[in-house]
Amino acid sequence: MVLSTELLGIRNALAEKREIKAKKAAANGKAKFPNPAFFRAKDNIDWKAQGKNLMEVVGICTEMFKEADHKAFWKLQAERCKDDLNRCILEFKQATQMSPEELKDVFLNGEKTLGKLYRKGDMATVRREWKGAVDTAYDFKEWLKMWGMLLMTFSKDLVPALNSALYYRWMISYFCCVGFMDKNTFGQKGSALRMSHLMIYDIFRYVAENLVFLAKCDKKNGNSVLNKKVVLFDEMTMGQIMAGFPDLVGIPYQLMPVFLVSEIDQLTCIPYIDAVESFGLPADTCPVPSSECGALVIDALPHMGSCFISSSMPCDGSVMASEYMSRRFPDLPVYHLTFPVRYEYEETTQDAVEDIKGCIKFVEEITGAKWNWDAYFKQMKRFNEETAYELQKWEVNKTDYPQIIGPCYELFRKWNYEMDGGADPRTMRTFEKVNDIMMKAYERREEAWRGKMKYRGIVWSCPAHYYANFSNWLANCWGIDILVEMESLNFTKVLETEDKEEALMDLARLYERMVMRRHTNGGYHNVVDELWRQVEDWRAEIIIMYQNVACKNMATLQGILDDQCRDKNYHMIWIEHDLMDPRTVSRKNMRGKVNEYMRTVMRAEPIDPTLEEFDDETAM
Amino acid sequence: MKDLKHMIYFENLLDNADNELVEQAKKDGKFIMGYTCYHIPEVLLNVDNCVSVRLRAPRTGSIDISTYYMSNYVCEFARALLERAIEGGFQFLDGLAAVDACSMMNRFYEHFSILKCNEKDHFFLPILDVPYKTEDFSYRHMQRQLETRLLAAMHENLGVDISDAAIRKAVAEHNEVCKVMQEISEMRKADNPVITGYEFHVLNLVTYTCPKYLILPYLKETLEELKKRKPDKQLPRARVGIVGSEIDDPEFTKMIEAAGARVVFDRHCFGSIPGREVIELTDDEDALPQIVRHYMNTSECARYIADNKVHQRRETADRLAKEFKADGIIYEQMKYCDFWGFERALVSHIMADEYGWPILSIDRLYNARGSGQLRTRFQAFVESLEIKKIQKGGKK
Repeated sequence: MVLSTELLGIRNALAEKREIKAKKAAANGKAKFPNPAFFRAKDNIDWKAQGKNLMEVVGICTEMFKEADHKAFWKLQAERCKDDLNRCILEFKQATQMSPEELKDVFLNGEKTLGKLYRKGDMATVRREWKGAVDTAYDFKEWLKMWGMLLMTFSKDLVPALNSALYYRWMISYFCCVGFMDKNTFGQKGSALRMSHLMIYDIFRYVAENLVFLAKCDKKNGNSVLNKKVVLFDEMTMGQIMAGFPDLVGIPYQLMPVFLVSEIDQLTCIPYIDAVESFGLPADTCPVPSSECGALVIDALPHMGSCFISSSMPCDGSVMASEYMSRRFPDLPVYHLTFPVRYEYEETTQDAVEDIKGCIKFVEEITGAKWNWDAYFKQMKRFNEETAYELQKWEVNKTDYPQIIGPCYELFRKWNYEMDGGADPRTMRTFEKVNDIMMKAYERREEAWRGKMKYRGIVWSCPAHYYANFSNWLANCWGIDILVEMESLNFTKVLETEDKEEALMDLARLYERMVMRRHTNGGYHNVVDELWRQVEDWRAEIIIMYQNVACKNMATLQGILDDQCRDKNYHMIWIEHDLMDPRTVSRKNMRGKVNEYMRTVMRAEPIDPTLEEFDDETAM
Repeated sequence: MKDLKHMIYFENLLDNADNELVEQAKKDGKFIMGYTCYHIPEVLLNVDNCVSVRLRAPRTGSIDISTYYMSNYVCEFARALLERAIEGGFQFLDGLAAVDACSMMNRFYEHFSILKCNEKDHFFLPILDVPYKTEDFSYRHMQRQLETRLLAAMHENLGVDISDAAIRKAVAEHNEVCKVMQEISEMRKADNPVITGYEFHVLNLVTYTCPKYLILPYLKETLEELKKRKPDKQLPRARVGIVGSEIDDPEFTKMIEAAGARVVFDRHCFGSIPGREVIELTDDEDALPQIVRHYMNTSECARYIADNKVHQRRETADRLAKEFKADGIIYEQMKYCDFWGFERALVSHIMADEYGWPILSIDRLYNARGSGQLRTRFQAFVESLEIKKIQKGGKK
C-alpha cells in the first residue's frame, strides 16, 4: 500500500514550490545547505511492508519480554538504586568533610576524581560530571542544544527515520550520541570545552541530516524520489569529488551504519564481524572492511543510491570489500576509483586524473547531472580557508601553550578533511568561532586541560574506534596531552581553484593523501621518517603508538620503528587494539599498557588515580 | 608410473634459490634479476644478458628475525623471503624487480633495502606502482612504470640492451619454454594423465626459478619422455584444481595427491595459469605495450578490483575445471593474505552455489607440508567427491 492520497498530492505540490524557491536562492548565491528540498522529497512508503515489519519487531520484543528473567532484572535495579543512594550519601559526607576553600574550589572548578563515575556492568556513567558551576551550566546548555538539533533535524522527515529504527540495530546506538559527546568532553573545562562542543555539534548535525537521507532513500522504506540524486561512495573515500555536483547528494555509504557508530558504541560491530567470519572471512583482516562486509551479510545496510563509488583506499582489505558490495546489490552501478599507491611518483598523477575524469563521466551518465566547475571551485576555496584555520591550530599546539586537544578535535579534523571537505558553509562559521576562542585562550596562556598538562604527546597509527576518547583518558589520568595525531597530518597544500587541469591534479593528490593512506601507502618513509620529523616539530615527549593487530601496513614496520626509536631515545608506548572489536584487546588492556609504562619506565604517579583501574567493558 | 628421468635433478634445483643453473648463468656472464610477482612481466627480466629468478624461500625453518621486523600477523611468504634475505640467501641477485601490489610484499622489498640485504654495488631495487584496473589509462600507466622504473634502471645499472629487438628476442625464448609447458599441461586433460600434479608443479617451478636457456633442454627431453610414458592402471579417486594465492612448495600438491586426488590444474600464483601462455606479438606495434596487455589481461590476481576482472576470475576457474575435467576445486590462500582472504571467502560460496562446483576452501601457512589438519581436510574432500560420483552414478 503506497500513500497516494490527496494529502500526498498537496505535499508534492508544496515540495515543487520549495524546490523552485531553493533554485532561485541558489542562483542568488543564498542556497541553504543541505538543500531543504532534499528533506521534502516525496517518500514512497509502503505502509503494508512497514506494518509487517512493525509486527515482527513487536513479536521479537514480546518474545524477549517473555524470555527475560524479570526477577533478576528487578533485583539488579534494586541493587543499583541502593548503590546510587550509598554513593550520594558518600559524596555528601565527602563534601561535608571538605574545608570551605576546597568546597568552593570543587563548586567553581569541578570535581578532581572521575573514576568513581564508572560502575561495572553499566553502559553509561552513574551521573554527569561536575565541571564547576559555569562549565556545568554551559555543558548542560550544549547537551540541550544537541538534543534540540537532533529532534529538529529528524522532524524534517520523521517517519522514514522511525521506520529505519525498526529495521537497523545501529540506528538505536545513535540515540546515545549525546552520551558520546559527554564522554569526549570528559574532564574538559573552559575554552577547551567550548571548542569541543562547537566541533562535535557540526559532526552530529552532519550525521543527523545524513541519517534522514539514508532512511528516506532506503528501499525498505519505499525509496524516496531523492534516491535518484544520491551518489554513494565508500566511507574510506573522500567526499570532495561531489563538490562539482551541487544538485546531487554524496553520502559515505557505510559511515553511519558502521564506521561512526562503532565510535559511539563499542559493541556495535561485533555482530557484523561475527557474521562475516562465519561466512568464511579470515579473522586476521582489518575490522573496517570486515565490518562493512559483515553488515552486508546480515543486511544491515540500506538498499539505496543511484550508484556507488568504491575505492582502493587506504589498504588491501578495503580494495576487496567492494566485491561484497557488488554481490549484495548487483543492480547498483559501481565505479572503482583506484589511485596509484606510490603516490609520490609524479608520473602517476596523470593516471589518477584520468580515473577522476572517468568517475565524473560515470556519475554524469548515471544521474544525468552535469559537472559544475563554478560549484567545485567555490567549495575548494572554502576548503582552502578551512585548511588555513587548521594550520593555525597546529601552530598554536606546537607552542608551550597548546589549546585545542582531545577527541572532539581529532574527530572534527578527520570529518572535515574526509567527509565535509568544504561542502557545508556552516562549518566555516565553526572554524571562525573555534579560532577566536583558541586565540583568546592562547593569549591568556590557558591550560587546555586544567592542572593536567604534564607530557606533550603525539599519536601515531590508527586509533581504536571502540576507544575514540582514549586521548581524553590519557590527559585525565596521566596528564599526557595529545597535541596531534597521525591521521590529522594530511595534505595541506592550497588546492587550485582556477586552472581546471591543475585542479584535477590537485584533487588527485588530495585523494592520494587521504587519512591513513597518506602515511601507510607510498613507502615506509611516509610513516617512519615522518614520525621522527613530527616528533621533533611538535616537541613530543611521548609517542602513543597504536598497533591495530590487523593492520598489515603498520604491523610490517614494527621492528624498524622499535629499532629507530631506541636509537633516538624516545618514549614510545605500544598499544595494541583491534580497531572495532573490543573482545580482542579491551579498553582496560589498552589502559593497562600505559599504566605499566608510566609506572615502570617513567616512574610517574597518575594525576587521577581513580582512573587507573576501572571497569568499562560494557560501557558505550 | 615410471619415474621421470630428471625429476630428482629438478627437485634438487628447487632446494635452493641460488641453484646450480643460476650459478652456471652467472659464470656465463648473465645478470640475475629477482622478482616475486606476476605483476612484473617475467619476460622483461630476461632481455639481453639478464635472466629472471622468481624468488622462493625453500627449506624455510625459523622466521623469528623477520617476525621481529614485520610482526607475526603477516604473510609468511613475505616473512620467509625476508628471513632468507637477512641470512644472505639473495646475495646472488643483481637486481630485484619489485611491485607495490600488496602491502606485505611491499614491506619485504622495503626491508630488503633498509637492512641492506644485498651488498653488490650495482644492485638496484625499483618498486613499481601497478594498476587495479584494465582501462586504457591503466595499460599506459603500467607501460610507463616499466619503462621509467624498471627498464631504464636495468639499462643504467647493468648496461642492458632494452631495445625492441632485445625484448622480442626475450619473448621468443620465453615462448619456447611456454610451448613445452603448454604441451605438458595439455596432458593433464586426459582421463588418465601421464603426469601427476606434483610432477607438473616441480616442472613448472623450475621454469620460474632457473635460467630459460639452461632449463629448456631438460624440459624438452622430459616432454618426449612423457609422450611415451604409460599411465598407472588405476584412475585417481578424484580430479581437483587449485585456485588461489602463492604456492611455491610442490609438497603441498603432493599432500593433496597423497589423499587420493589428482591435481589437474594450477590456477594460483607460481602456477602455470597464468604464467605459461605464449605471448603473441605483432609487428605493427612495439613489443612492450603488447607485453603489458598480455600480462594485465591474463592476470588472475585478486588485487584487480574492476568488475570485468572479478568476473574473469570466476569464469576462468569454471572454464579450467570443465576443460581439465575436474570434480572439484580447492580455493586456497596464504594465511594473512588480504586479497585472497576476501576473494576466497566470497567466491568459494559463489562457485558452489552458482557454478555448481564442489569446493574446499582453506587457508594455510607458507610452510604447510607437515599440516595434519590440512591432510585431514583433503582426505575428507576427496571422500566427498567420491561419494558425489557414486551418487551421480546411482541416479543414472
